[in-house]
Amino acid sequence: MTERFPLSRRSFLATAGATAVTGAIGAPALAQTANKPLKIGMVTSLSGPFTALGESMRAGMQMFLAENGGKLAGRAVELIVEDDQAKPDEGVRKFRKLLGQDNVDIVSGVISSAVALAVRDVVTEAKALTFISAGSANDLARKAASPFVFRPTKTNWMLGHTAGQWAFEKLGKSGCLTIAADYAAGRESVSDFVASYQQQGGKVGKQLWAPLGTTDFGPLLTTIAAERPEFIFSFFAGSDAVRFLRQMREYRLHGKVKLIGSGALFDQEDVVSAVKEAALGGLNTCNQSPTAPSSAAFTKAYQAARNAMPGEMGTAGYVTGQVIKAAVERVQGDLSNKEKVKEALLAKEVETVFGPMPFDPRNNQAILDIYVNEIKEGAGGPVNQVIHTYKAVRDPGPVA
Amino acid sequence: MSSIADGTGRVEARPASERRSLPMTAKVALLALAAAIPLLFAGDYQLRFLAEILIIGTAVLSLDLLVGFGGLVSLGHAVFFGGAAYAAAIAAQTLGADVVVMLAVGIATGMASALLMGVVVMRTIALFFLILSLIVGQIVWEVVFHWREVTGGADGLRGFPVLTLHTGFATIPLNNGVALYLAALVLALAAYLAARSFVTAPIGRALLGTRERQLRMSALGYSIPRIRLMALLASGAIAGAAGALYPFVNQYVGPNAVHWTMSAMMIIMLVIGGVGSLYGAFIGSAIYLGIQTYVSSYTDRWQLVVGLVFVLTVMIMPKGVVAGLKAAFGRRKDAEGRS
Repeated sequence: MTERFPLSRRSFLATAGATAVTGAIGAPALAQTANKPLKIGMVTSLSGPFTALGESMRAGMQMFLAENGGKLAGRAVELIVEDDQAKPDEGVRKFRKLLGQDNVDIVSGVISSAVALAVRDVVTEAKALTFISAGSANDLARKAASPFVFRPTKTNWMLGHTAGQWAFEKLGKSGCLTIAADYAAGRESVSDFVASYQQQGGKVGKQLWAPLGTTDFGPLLTTIAAERPEFIFSFFAGSDAVRFLRQMREYRLHGKVKLIGSGALFDQEDVVSAVKEAALGGLNTCNQSPTAPSSAAFTKAYQAARNAMPGEMGTAGYVTGQVIKAAVERVQGDLSNKEKVKEALLAKEVETVFGPMPFDPRNNQAILDIYVNEIKEGAGGPVNQVIHTYKAVRDPGPVA
Repeated sequence: MSSIADGTGRVEARPASERRSLPMTAKVALLALAAAIPLLFAGDYQLRFLAEILIIGTAVLSLDLLVGFGGLVSLGHAVFFGGAAYAAAIAAQTLGADVVVMLAVGIATGMASALLMGVVVMRTIALFFLILSLIVGQIVWEVVFHWREVTGGADGLRGFPVLTLHTGFATIPLNNGVALYLAALVLALAAYLAARSFVTAPIGRALLGTRERQLRMSALGYSIPRIRLMALLASGAIAGAAGALYPFVNQYVGPNAVHWTMSAMMIIMLVIGGVGSLYGAFIGSAIYLGIQTYVSSYTDRWQLVVGLVFVLTVMIMPKGVVAGLKAAFGRRKDAEGRS
């Protein structure tokens, strides 16, 4: 008998232990109090291909909250940041965690368009106040638009379309080649660029694609060298962009072929500061520029805090904070009536670092000034210099 | 046959341990209690998370059949799982997402891909098996990644109907945490029992034999490729069943589900939980996903934690966490008993 019991007790303990663990997972959901601080959840990429972008976005948001003394509309703010690894499945899991376990009042963030699309159904089902800081898939402003998903960022169309206009007017009527990352944002940017360029009468040559996370662009670059295009339209982001620009230089294509891209290709903080000279002369259309007038004070503060010029993601984190602040203050900190929050936010434009930002009532998509930046030598190295501004660019929206 | 079992030790050990532990009914009662507790305390999110652990755990369990009993380390296992997940999500768009239909689609896809892979890999072992399975896996991934019209490419698939259960009278939607958790629980239990009966059946013993004494098995007249193919088919069926439910937990399936890193993740889960133990698959999946979801809230370096757990498991508890802890406690008890 005595030989049996210790063993059975052990199995019992094992089961009890397992039970305690499952209980512990469930416990935080029960620990709710009535008058709690304003909880803001942010999902961004802190590992994977967009790590640097994600860290900037988080820093931008933290900077904004610090400048506001950690309070919005009198409510203390608690920021919970989660990593989506730039993987849609992981992003969905993290959004569910923020909404289901941490019970946040607001969810925000997201860099990858694929993640933004994947979480769309989750936040819509939960009727969560959502601010997509950077995920820029056109569908999010069109057929996947959702009543409580606000988009204080651009759509791929806004950048591709303006790049097409600029390219046709200033770069050439033919001899265009495109090369882009093979995922939602890359596909869309290129097709919007091509549509806008062709609509005006431009002719597009070869179209090349590279998987997300490509390390060796060699085979594609030799194709480019053989094709001898007059200019290239390109979309890469994060470390892909850095490798692409460096290898363009190594293959002695830099300077020979004019390069125009969507903002991410020449992102100030994450790409230009890394590749330096390899970026010079590059053109991009972007909703952000460190040299835009609306960004002057922020650029200075960001440089002081992070010792780098702000790129799109750092700015996007900050701007998301600005938009959340406007929304929360316009309803005196009371987010219980979401229709009211929406109404207040759509009522008038928000002054942001991107520029004045009104929201389109059809799809909650921001209407933005799009800057054409050229990389020029500045005081602290190459910098995105605004050479033209397309005012109040508005996505075609649900009808497109 | 008995000489084969002697060679492994593992098969012989089981009856001995069963003799000493709780009676079967008590075990089942405790298990049912443990399974019921989350239903009382966990919220929707936690239940979905547990469902995911159980579903991925089931896929890892099917991998254990190959690794733990056949000595076949596969880096293409995600094809069985993810392929079935895609098949289910695609089929759901036209057929509707009835759970029985989905399981049938998943199992069929899992077995078909296992057959396909089996034809390529069944005559190889060790390194060659690993590489070939990796290559087959990556071919499938390439297809999924580029076939945008059907698979959604890099964006994956979403917007398919929710899982339902036809009960004759009414159709119950299985789209909340409780229902998904229960469905995953039934799946996991059924898969565990199926896998157990497979390894204790003659074919399972023969599989062990091919791992331990390949030459002797051939001399005894066994067809080794055939045995391996059977194991692959069984494994594919279970992984396929798990894959069929996977898209419905988050109403999303993406190309990561078929990528080789998914296969590698399953192997890590299996090693942490305990190779050759079957139940360890669930422990490993719980530990890995737990770290990934909860530790990553505190540090960006969660992968380091996974790595450390993996290395420590291999070094200190090569038979997995549960067996390791049991052994550690057992040793202390023995020491106490003697003194």
